[in-house]
Amino acid sequence: MLWIKNGIVIDPKNGIEGEKMDIFVKEGKIVEESEVKKEECKVIDASNKLVVAGGVEMHSHIAGSKINTGRSMRPEEMRVVRNVAGKFRAVVGRVLLTAPGIGYEYAKMGYTTAVEAASPPIGSPHTHEELDAIPILDKAALPVFGNWHFVFKFVSEKDQEKLQAFIAWAIERTKGYGVKIVNPGGVEKWMYGSNVRTLDDEVPIYGVTPREIITEVVKANEALNLPHCVHIHCNNLGVPGNYETTIETMKLVSGMKNENRPVLHVTHVQFNAYAGSSWRDVSSGAEEIAKYVNKADNITIDMGQPIFGHATAMTGDAPFQFTLHKLIGARWSNKDTEIEGGAGIVPIVYLPKNPVHALQWAIGLELGLLIDSDKVVISTDWPNGGPFTEYPYIMAMLMSKRMREKELERVSPYVQKASSLPAIDTEKTLYEVIKMSRSLPAKILGMENKGHLGVGADADIAIYNINPNEVDPSAEYDLVNKAFRKPAYTIKDGEIVVKDGELVAETWGRTFWVDATKKVSMEAIEADLDEYFQNYYTVERINFGVDERWVKKPARLEVS
Amino acid sequence: MENVVCTFCGSVCDDGVFEDGDVRKLCALGKSKFSKKERIKAPMIDGKEVSYEEAIEKAAEILVEAKRPLLYGWASTVNEAIRLGVLIAEKVGGIYDQCASVCHAPGTLALIEEGVPGGTLGSVKNRADVVIFWGANPVEAHPRHPTRYSVMAKGLLIKDRKNRKVVVIDVRETKTAKLADIFVQIKPGYDYAIISALRAIVKGEKIEADEVGGVPVEKLYELAELMMNAKYGVIFYGLGVTQSRGRDRNVENAIKLVQQLNRKTRWVIWPMRGHYNVVGAGEVPAWEVGYQFAIDFSRGYPRFSPAEFTAVEALVRRDCDAALIIASDPAAHFPRKAVEHLKKIPVIQIDPHPNLTTLLSNVVIPSAIAGLEAEGSVYRMDGIVLRVKKLVETEYWSDVQILEKMYEEVVKKVG
Amino acid sequence: MLILKPKKDFEVSVEAEITPDLAEKSEEEIKNFEVWYGKYKVKLGELFEIKKEGDEKKLILDGDFSRVKWIGRGMTEGEIVVKGNVGAHCGAFMSGGKIVVEGNADDWLGAEMSGGEIVVKGNARNLVGCAYYGDLEGMKGGKILIEGNAGNYIGEKMVGGEIEIKGNAGDFIGTEMKNGTIIVHGDCGFVGGDMKGGTIKIGGKFDLLPSFKKAEDGWIGDVNVGGEGKIVKI
Repeated sequence: MLWIKNGIVIDPKNGIEGEKMDIFVKEGKIVEESEVKKEECKVIDASNKLVVAGGVEMHSHIAGSKINTGRSMRPEEMRVVRNVAGKFRAVVGRVLLTAPGIGYEYAKMGYTTAVEAASPPIGSPHTHEELDAIPILDKAALPVFGNWHFVFKFVSEKDQEKLQAFIAWAIERTKGYGVKIVNPGGVEKWMYGSNVRTLDDEVPIYGVTPREIITEVVKANEALNLPHCVHIHCNNLGVPGNYETTIETMKLVSGMKNENRPVLHVTHVQFNAYAGSSWRDVSSGAEEIAKYVNKADNITIDMGQPIFGHATAMTGDAPFQFTLHKLIGARWSNKDTEIEGGAGIVPIVYLPKNPVHALQWAIGLELGLLIDSDKVVISTDWPNGGPFTEYPYIMAMLMSKRMREKELERVSPYVQKASSLPAIDTEKTLYEVIKMSRSLPAKILGMENKGHLGVGADADIAIYNINPNEVDPSAEYDLVNKAFRKPAYTIKDGEIVVKDGELVAETWGRTFWVDATKKVSMEAIEADLDEYFQNYYTVERINFGVDERWVKKPARLEVS
Repeated sequence: MENVVCTFCGSVCDDGVFEDGDVRKLCALGKSKFSKKERIKAPMIDGKEVSYEEAIEKAAEILVEAKRPLLYGWASTVNEAIRLGVLIAEKVGGIYDQCASVCHAPGTLALIEEGVPGGTLGSVKNRADVVIFWGANPVEAHPRHPTRYSVMAKGLLIKDRKNRKVVVIDVRETKTAKLADIFVQIKPGYDYAIISALRAIVKGEKIEADEVGGVPVEKLYELAELMMNAKYGVIFYGLGVTQSRGRDRNVENAIKLVQQLNRKTRWVIWPMRGHYNVVGAGEVPAWEVGYQFAIDFSRGYPRFSPAEFTAVEALVRRDCDAALIIASDPAAHFPRKAVEHLKKIPVIQIDPHPNLTTLLSNVVIPSAIAGLEAEGSVYRMDGIVLRVKKLVETEYWSDVQILEKMYEEVVKKVG
Repeated sequence: MLILKPKKDFEVSVEAEITPDLAEKSEEEIKNFEVWYGKYKVKLGELFEIKKEGDEKKLILDGDFSRVKWIGRGMTEGEIVVKGNVGAHCGAFMSGGKIVVEGNADDWLGAEMSGGEIVVKGNARNLVGCAYYGDLEGMKGGKILIEGNAGNYIGEKMVGGEIEIKGNAGDFIGTEMKNGTIIVHGDCGFVGGDMKGGTIKIGGKFDLLPSFKKAEDGWIGDVNVGGEGKIVKI
């Protein structure tokens, strides 16, 4: 039992905006004061400290074949030693990290939940093995659907019943959490050496288009009423002029509505927010996108903020990765995966003086600033945009124009004409950045017990050494930046795991997965599954997927 | 029981049928894994039978007391056991190395240099209209690979063997070469030069020499033409490439060829990995500690150095003073100088079957056979995970049980 | 000047990142200097006899140092003389000063060095002046002279400096080299694969790659990377 005393609480979901109050924890949950025996409580003095829910990472590449191939191909990344073996595991990694390091570093920033944003379905047992190697955090994984032949087939047949049954089947089999789409149709075209360029390009054999795939999959997701909305990595990623594709994609769901959450989450939008026609005249499309998102009532995004320095691009968008390899001449890994899609990996460095990199950096911030704080989530799309450990930097930048002005001095002047960042006066409040890193991602993911401090919530709590009622983030941006890097406490399921920025305990979190199989009739797709597995897969259908008993601490969410 | 997963080679066929102690549908090599063979009867310390607990405690003591213990093998066990092995190596400040260091590790070094443009075996089956085996002989080493995945496999775009051109490049006419449409015999040690020539041709350069590595230049132009005209091609490379002159440089060069071919059409390249879970023996340490093989923990954090921390190097250089060998037989396969050092230091063996290494081991711990008597995850050659099954009961402890207990003992001793 | 002598035949290798700077320290500090003996951190004085003669920045390593790694790592000035053989990574990352090895050198000699001089009177093994795995540049400056033979992988990804081998060298000389000079007086195997620039001079026989073009005074390549590296016969 914990009694967190006199903290200054910001809890956007419950409308608490810097109130001094006590929080009580029992059996891993936040409870009413009357539920605990105060004399048995461990008391944490949070006077003059900011008390918030543990951070929720909704888009990061924390587990599976991509991140692991990234580690194997970049020993120069792994040479940075973060922790020597002792009470805790040895941890190495510069931007890429070992699995124990992922758990430790998120916790050391006050984050307690993280979602693997793209799991190749046939690779899901690997994804889960790695998730199980990440300590402390609660986890989940999103299997990718946008180039899976079953999806092409059922979309081309306009058979919603089958599509829904298939999605429920696939999420259950992969012990996944929701539906991810990566460059729908484009990765399949890559198998023939090309990519899609518009939402109306056709996929070979099936004749379906990205437009149809996205529309039908969102419909199915909504009919199943999955906790998380469809999570999309748009077509044309990394192509100047792509902001129009992004907006067009968003328009596909206009008129659709879900009471609890958006119907479409568009991810790492920075990479999909370029205007212009080439890298020579590229500029920001962030304002247009922001305008659309702010007006829409069913769309959220995350930033995909680049951080200057090393990064590793790794996505299920295999054709994009090849384009990047040709563009910068760096190492390139690719994996075409059965009839499911593909992936690629390319190391990259973001340099402040490089006009394009500086523009990317500016666009990420523009999105974070121009979009309402209940529609944009903080992310670096780790490790694509750089380290997640720089979230405190992003938070501080969003809250301080002065800090941005200082940073603008060191980046390429190209951003002055190609983006609106220098002209943006907006300064997000602490309340807003807490929302963008806690309650909003939890809401989009449909994780009711995450991202807030109301009674019944999981006791995932971060306490930082700043008093929101005294600090001026606009002026004291250094202080804010430092405070978010070094929580006074991180509490996971009621246990103190980090104290004064140092790890003090290693715990093991759960892996959430969604079971919607009761909502559909599996018989509808039996014959199709058998046919495709027999003809196009190289494993037996029965050997595909993950059994719940193989997962260390599974937490099943049944959708009814 | 149907859909049984085979634990012989990297093909990890998952369609075996197990009945009355016998397995059907698998190849002869696969069947041999399920047939009765001599077993190590009981745990032993210096030849004397002891309990599992005693043997494991002794093993933990040896590992903890050593200045630099070597923990080697891992390619023929399940991921859950490998993970414990990595954790033990980290705790005792030893070296983790696995069988790849004597077979396909050059592929990992090439991955470091250039990445690997690859695909799963299903991509090949469905799409590849040109399949090249380079220094690989699946007919003998991966007998069902040609039918299930590559030569004769039918799929989405390839409906018939006639839709696919198969090329074998090797220093001798192997059995696989007999399945091929085109066989290119090359001079041993000239893979690198031939690949450089192919790259130059694909790039549009003229080759000044008349022949390269024993192959007339006209034949190389034909081969390059075939590659450029493929819709989706694959190079499967084997030990002929990784364990001959050039090693990782050969693979790296082949990867660069594939990079270039992708500017014209689609190509992938993939190693023909040997043991059924040699991929897992690299993947697991990669996520736990950042590297695939040749990992030293003497400083309390992982360091990677193939020239120092592979098992053969550590033994030849007398740079380890104790060894744990699991599911492997270095005494039979390592160079003489390495085996000589192995004879001088305390050795712990974990294996279901006796082998030459048993003879020089101080502590012998018999284990259940993964995929027959114990379950767990394994990675097929292309990284696809399959779950090997427990088909029969046994009194033997599984590798996981043994290593869990050993980890516990090690933690007790070092804290 | 500091003279070090191994006290025993080491059971496993020792990692001693010692540079001539050590000679300036007090005898007490020298004795307590930490080195790695397998997984144990031990004091230099436990493994080596130590004799200090004045403050000159010079180390004399007297005896068999073939199992002692990382000698002269990152050294900037002064001199190291190894009377016998030396272990791996000798002179890695060095930027100045001089190392003389009177016996043989193990792998990774002068890896990623940027200045200074290394002389090996005997043979050197593999990976001389190379880049560590994942790094984009090998030797950047300085000079390595090997009076005997050298192994495989010499001067990979080299961007500056000079490596001279009086005897024969193995395979893969100057792979992906961008600048600098490699001289092999004897024979060697494949040369200059994917080199972009720099010069490789060879006295004996070698394997010419098909991706090089004949030029007036040798060959230019590697054409696969649009390279303008030179291979010259001496």
